[in-house]
Amino acid sequence: MKATFKPTLAIAVPLFVLTALASGSASAREPFSKEELDKQQAKLLELVEQGYNLWHGSNPEMSGNGLACGNCHPDAGASNPQTFPKYIQNMNRVVQWGEMVNWCIQNPQAGKALALESEDMTAMYAYAMNLHRGLPIQPGLASLQTKPVPVKYGKGFPSKPSGIGFDTK
Amino acid sequence: MDHKKDRREFLQLTGKAGLSTIVGSAAGINLGVFDLAHAQPGNKVAPFRFAMITDSHLFSGDDHKFDRQLEDAVEQVNSMEIKPDFVLYGGDIAQNGTEDQLVKGRKLLSKLDTKLVLIPGEHDWYVDMGAAWKGMFGQDHWSFDHKGVHFIGMNSILVKDFWTAKQMSPRERMAAMEMLEGPIGGLWGVGEKQLEWLKKDVAKLSPDTPIVTFTHSPLWDYYPRWNFQTVDGPQIREILSKFENFTSIHGHVHQTVYNKVGNMTSIGAMSTSWPWPYPPVTLAYPGSQMNRHDPGNEVDGMGTLAVSVKAGGQKLAEYQPFGDSLTPYLKKGLKA
Repeated sequence: MKATFKPTLAIAVPLFVLTALASGSASAREPFSKEELDKQQAKLLELVEQGYNLWHGSNPEMSGNGLACGNCHPDAGASNPQTFPKYIQNMNRVVQWGEMVNWCIQNPQAGKALALESEDMTAMYAYAMNLHRGLPIQPGLASLQTKPVPVKYGKGFPSKPSGIGFDTK
Repeated sequence: MDHKKDRREFLQLTGKAGLSTIVGSAAGINLGVFDLAHAQPGNKVAPFRFAMITDSHLFSGDDHKFDRQLEDAVEQVNSMEIKPDFVLYGGDIAQNGTEDQLVKGRKLLSKLDTKLVLIPGEHDWYVDMGAAWKGMFGQDHWSFDHKGVHFIGMNSILVKDFWTAKQMSPRERMAAMEMLEGPIGGLWGVGEKQLEWLKKDVAKLSPDTPIVTFTHSPLWDYYPRWNFQTVDGPQIREILSKFENFTSIHGHVHQTVYNKVGNMTSIGAMSTSWPWPYPPVTLAYPGSQMNRHDPGNEVDGMGTLAVSVKAGGQKLAEYQPFGDSLTPYLKKGLKA
């Protein structure tokens, strides 16, 4: 005989609470305050700047020949994080953006790959995505590979460039 | 298997194949090297070819892949079926501006069969403000006449002093200039002295003298954020506005690009190091864009440039890519 699931009162009450939490009910928590949002934004921008520095050669392990991401991808151009996951021909499979970054680090840059879950990889992603905000998220669309990223002239980041090939941190 | 030999043979073949569209009037003509003393500007042009290699960005140390790519470019030019009368190097021999990188570049370029003329790029300059470069290669701006064409080379990568007030070391100054999108260096140009020199240089030339300028950066505002510009480009164009045939050839952009502004036809050369993505601007001649390069193909998106000059001064510029980077439109060559 097929068993039928009938929740008891003891189970049904916690289920109600979980459902309420999952649906974003006002009972979950208060909205973030301005201070909290500012703090979160500051944390994000800190990571974006870390990503900017990594992009321009601040981690010597990422390069065995002096090349950094920024050599071929100024302003993160043609890195297109918003188009991943995407099929990459020379890997013959669909990959996430970090895997493509690691391919570049290991091949054109002859360096040591980053762990996909590492803070450095998250920072690189934060930097690249920060410049691609506003572009449609369209995974796999190869036609967007040459989509340019407009960045107004004169705006940079406050940190000094770390240099490529020497003077690395 | 001798991989290096195979690679050389492949490049020689592609170099020759890339010349299949040469104009007939240039065929078989190679009348020699410069004749500075007996140049006759304004006279009818004797057809000839010249070639351009640029943006090799050599790093320090031995056996870097960019060394091999410059060697490939030299072999490609040396194997051109119709020899160029001279080769122009368009700047950025070095990546970090150090003397060892420039010395290495000079050694690799010495394998060219033909005469070499050079202009500097920002990567060659900002460690010692051009001292090593000038010591090895001479003046950073010059002109000469060749078979009826007046050639002008200028140093277009001069920026205002941003380093003294910040007390930056020479290496910090160079590092600031190395980043294409760096926020520190600002816009560059040729400066007042070279503008004055240019005025005098062309003052006595007749308007029918074909003019070819070489600068590291384009003489039009392509994308200033990446210094795809020369800040005094408008003044240069004004000084050269009287000439009926004015062609500007530049490096720095690491890509194929073409434009016309007033009487100037502008052609950008591929690098031998790496290709750059096209910046977010609409080109007047979008057909001059090369294919987006395949990152899995280490020679894609790079190459050299060959220019055939015809009797009337008209030119046909042909990219000579290391890989299959050109669209059918580009394979026909660009007219100037």
